[in-house]
Amino acid sequence: MVMSDKMESDPPLSLYRAKRHVTLRVLSISGGWGVRRNLNQMGLHVGDVVFVVHRAPFGGPLVIENRGGRVAVGRQLAEKIQVEVIL
Amino acid sequence: MKIALVGQPNSGKSTLFNAVAGYRSLTSNFAGTTVEYTRGRARVNGDVIDLVDLPGLYSLHPANPAETCSREFLLAGDGDVVVNVVDASQLARSLELTLELLELEARLVVCLNMMDEAVRKGIVIDVPALADALGVPVVETIATRGQGILETFRMAIRLHRKRPSSSPRAFPYAPEVEATIQGLAEALGAGGHAGHASHGLPPEAGETDQLDAATPSGETTAKDAARLPGLRFRALQLLQSDPQRVAQLDSATAKAAESAQRQVAMHLGQPADVVISAARHSACLNLFERVAQVRRPRPDWREQVDRVLMHPVWGYVFLTLIFLGFFRLVFDVGKLGEAHILAAFDGLIAHLGHLLAPSSLGFAVAKGALLGTAGAFAIVLPYLLPFLVGLSVLEDAGYLARVGYLMDAVMHRLGLHGTATIPILLGYGCSVPAVMATRILTSRRDRFVAAFLAVLVPCSARMTVIMALVGFYLGAYWALGIYVLNLAVIALAGNILTKIWPEIAPGMLMEVPPYHHPALRVVVLKTWWRLREFVAVALPLLVVGSAVLGLIEFYGWQSVINAALSPLTALLGLPAAVGLTLIFGVLRKELSLLMLMQALGTTDVHSLMTSAQIIIFTLFVTFYLPCLATLVSMVREVGRKLTAAAATALLLLAIVISLAARGILHFFY
Repeated sequence: MVMSDKMESDPPLSLYRAKRHVTLRVLSISGGWGVRRNLNQMGLHVGDVVFVVHRAPFGGPLVIENRGGRVAVGRQLAEKIQVEVIL
Repeated sequence: MKIALVGQPNSGKSTLFNAVAGYRSLTSNFAGTTVEYTRGRARVNGDVIDLVDLPGLYSLHPANPAETCSREFLLAGDGDVVVNVVDASQLARSLELTLELLELEARLVVCLNMMDEAVRKGIVIDVPALADALGVPVVETIATRGQGILETFRMAIRLHRKRPSSSPRAFPYAPEVEATIQGLAEALGAGGHAGHASHGLPPEAGETDQLDAATPSGETTAKDAARLPGLRFRALQLLQSDPQRVAQLDSATAKAAESAQRQVAMHLGQPADVVISAARHSACLNLFERVAQVRRPRPDWREQVDRVLMHPVWGYVFLTLIFLGFFRLVFDVGKLGEAHILAAFDGLIAHLGHLLAPSSLGFAVAKGALLGTAGAFAIVLPYLLPFLVGLSVLEDAGYLARVGYLMDAVMHRLGLHGTATIPILLGYGCSVPAVMATRILTSRRDRFVAAFLAVLVPCSARMTVIMALVGFYLGAYWALGIYVLNLAVIALAGNILTKIWPEIAPGMLMEVPPYHHPALRVVVLKTWWRLREFVAVALPLLVVGSAVLGLIEFYGWQSVINAALSPLTALLGLPAAVGLTLIFGVLRKELSLLMLMQALGTTDVHSLMTSAQIIIFTLFVTFYLPCLATLVSMVREVGRKLTAAAATALLLLAIVISLAARGILHFFY
């Protein structure tokens, strides 16, 4: 809706394409109400600082660390999360 | 008094529950749903308390039926005191649920669990400051070691007895938001919507069929209405709700909620749910920074373990080794148990022959019943028990989450998530625990698809049929061929089911908890509950079914049954005598083999059946109805209707596959 990445002039990196162990900040979450709710529930919000810890092969999920907690995020969801590299 | 335990998944809530309520705890379903909760009774310093362990939930804005049921329970005000179990090592995230519970205006005790884990992560929490900020008592616990548990319940009892000195402090939102909440609450109050616990709020789980009856008491009485929590909470929930769902509410509520959502969006430039969630999130972070300090974490060996177990290559190697080891152990233990128990039952049956005349009706029925009991105790239990123990250990240690992560990409090809790997792998051992394991999946759709695919997997009993018939008479390559064909059928079935009933969730989103030592008590209790369920439901069916078969044999009704099944056997090109064996196969799959030899009157099956017939028979037995015990567990997990649909589909599938095999084999033999 409002947070669609189409509104950004320079499309940010999707979380799925981020390298491991690089510190990232969540810029926006595209997708509807349900996607936001699910990610928020797992403690993932816009503005959070996260990094990718593990990456499964064959287009599998990522494990990201967010304030000490670890969450596995599937490819489709990870592609909906836009991040920027901060370190 | 009644205490409700609420917490996010993996917060150690059940460990706390199990520490005080014991083996006599009951699992019950929320009215009209398949969602289970556990309740038990505990004695704390002479006080008897009723404990309700609600399914874990991340927030009061539910994502699955289990969470919806928990919310409805809390909204109905059914607990005198709510104990919020919080994972102290994940304090910042866990506090979001705590803040929501404060908005609920329930009597709340916060139980700061896993303090040892928090210390390891370098998190130092100022507990009095946290209690002060929240306005509710906070107790530190390490539930796995039993520390602080009594104190938690003592605090809850004290809170129940007398008015608390401080009141819960719900944090305020931005003034514009507060004004909107106030306005919406007043509109709700004027409309009299407070009287309906389950109708004032839209269901969010995408499974509306299960949600209407989700209030545990079933109906909302005037007495309940008086205890309903404040309108502010309802207004807040509506404000965050999915606009699409809000539109489905009655027109007055929908209108008020829509206009409130518009107001917030207009003032703050973002959808109302984003505004509220962001505000709560930042309140949590602020609170966390005020009451906790994060120091350098201690080096953690578990980090090294995950580097191997979640590695893109080694992860799969160890996954294979761990499950091979697990299966090996289960089979070895099971075989040992089976031999001993079967010998005991053989002795009993021989003894029975002395008590009753071997040609009497009584003997036939009693022998049948004994054989049924033997089937349950000697064939199923020895394998089921180690399976359930092993599964609980892997689950409690945190390994199952890793399996889900590793297998997600593969399972997506079948229209499932990584977590569904467990039931499908378990299917190679025994379909009963495999079907039970589908419980770990959150949506009914996933549970059904996983259960369907899991029963398609040839269990160990069907393996004996495949090996002893096709493997023995036609060679190992033919047996392997059946397994390969089976995998292809599973992949195809997964794809077809996904076409019929598409996936709901867009992708995997799962917490990966740190490894920890499985608590013996939790493992024992979990195994005991699952086992008790099997014995209570499947055992009577096995006993009665076997007694009836004894009766059939006694009166020589085999020919009637074979005649009744002759259209099927003729269609598949099988001898009419195998008809009865198929009926036996529904009771216990490996019986098909024994009965086949008995029906043909020879142990050399190949002398009376052609190679093609042996293959067709084996294929049919592999794919047709799962055994009775499996069907019973399936009814428990996915309901009668879906089980009936699955059974019909499996029967048709078996006929189609066998017919196709008949057509193709025609050219070979």
